[in-house]
Amino acid sequence: MPKTSVTPAQIENNPQAHEDQHVHAVYDKIASHFSSTRYKPWPIIAHFLSTLSTGSVGLDAGTGNGKYLPLPLDRPPGSICTIGLDRSRNLLEIARTAGADVDEASTIKCMPREVIWGDVIGKGWRDGAFDYAISIATIHHLATHDRRKLAVKRLLQCVSPSRGRILIYVWAIEQDELSRRSVPTESYTKNDSLAESGMGPGRDVFVPWVLSRQNTNNGKLKGKLSKDPLASRSNVTDSTQSCTNGTSIEVTLMLGPDEPQVFNRYYHMFAEGELVELVRSAAGDLGIHIGPIPDQTLSSGPGMEWKGRGLEIVQDGWERSNYYVELRCWEK
Amino acid sequence: MVRLITHNLLACHVKNCTSNNFPLAFKDLGDTSLPAEQPDMIDDEFLQKLHHVLLEIHVEEGSMVCPNCNHVYPISNGIPNMLLAEHEIG
Ligand SMILES: [Zn+2]
Repeated sequence: MPKTSVTPAQIENNPQAHEDQHVHAVYDKIASHFSSTRYKPWPIIAHFLSTLSTGSVGLDAGTGNGKYLPLPLDRPPGSICTIGLDRSRNLLEIARTAGADVDEASTIKCMPREVIWGDVIGKGWRDGAFDYAISIATIHHLATHDRRKLAVKRLLQCVSPSRGRILIYVWAIEQDELSRRSVPTESYTKNDSLAESGMGPGRDVFVPWVLSRQNTNNGKLKGKLSKDPLASRSNVTDSTQSCTNGTSIEVTLMLGPDEPQVFNRYYHMFAEGELVELVRSAAGDLGIHIGPIPDQTLSSGPGMEWKGRGLEIVQDGWERSNYYVELRCWEK
Repeated sequence: MVRLITHNLLACHVKNCTSNNFPLAFKDLGDTSLPAEQPDMIDDEFLQKLHHVLLEIHVEEGSMVCPNCNHVYPISNGIPNMLLAEHEIG
């Protein structure tokens, strides 16, 4: 039985090439299998989308299989319009029909989703064009602190400066009990020194995705076959996932006769506080003040004459092995 | 699927292309239902045309061209390609 585990990752000299090889190429290869394991929206994200006012237009930076594009489900279709951006062309082909109600005649009954092939650190849209932006489980795939910060800046730039709302999720070092997952300790030392040099804390790892021959064709998930250590956050039943000695995770695979393919995806696992710090740093670079929306009824007092762009951290926390932060823009 | 509501959000992001970089021009869209200028009276007929243009036109194959630097963003299978080559990234 082959075994795979989360391993420390070294970033090569060119971060773009690193992401091309260890993120984009992998997702293009595993797209349909990946998509079959990703269909259950997380509660905080679903709630965020359900509180947006009707007619809002938003960007999903790193949409993957587009599972958030049909939301909110508790309101009429089309009440908001989320446009999905991703680097993986094959995932976008799936995202195009996300949530589609396919009838017996295989006719897709829903409106096809709007998707864009692009990079989350690119800027192929007008500044402030969106009412909201979400970036779920995406920024952790960028290989350097500067690139992760740039991705956050792009989110801050793409939404309305006066009322834009943003929700970001990234994978955490701190994993939940349920998944009983841990990561190698040896990379701690390396990244601690990175933190001191301003590169940010957190840990760079490869997370294996195991693709059986069966999965390569039509993307149907077969029985106990698996496993991505991340899969427990969705609805997939883990086979025999075990935490060995607390320093690295081992995933034992139940496999058919065919040799599986293992793809190592690169992740930067965020440390506690790192996401909020990244947001503060990105906002600082753009001259955006961090703080609550000022009380408009106060007309005098220190700082009242100040004019500019602000950003309120509405909430931040940890949910299901991820850190999240919700932001609201304001202007005065 | 490129509906015009999506197209309306896009802008060119080639290095140093920061002004006059939207709207990207469709090649041969062939829809002339909207007047060139915003009419004084916004009536139901105009709103219906606007709805048609924004939400009912899907561009499956084609391209969009930056009015400033002429960079071409192709659309294939309804998906616009906004990726840039490394030397084009600002
Ligand atoms: Zn241009």
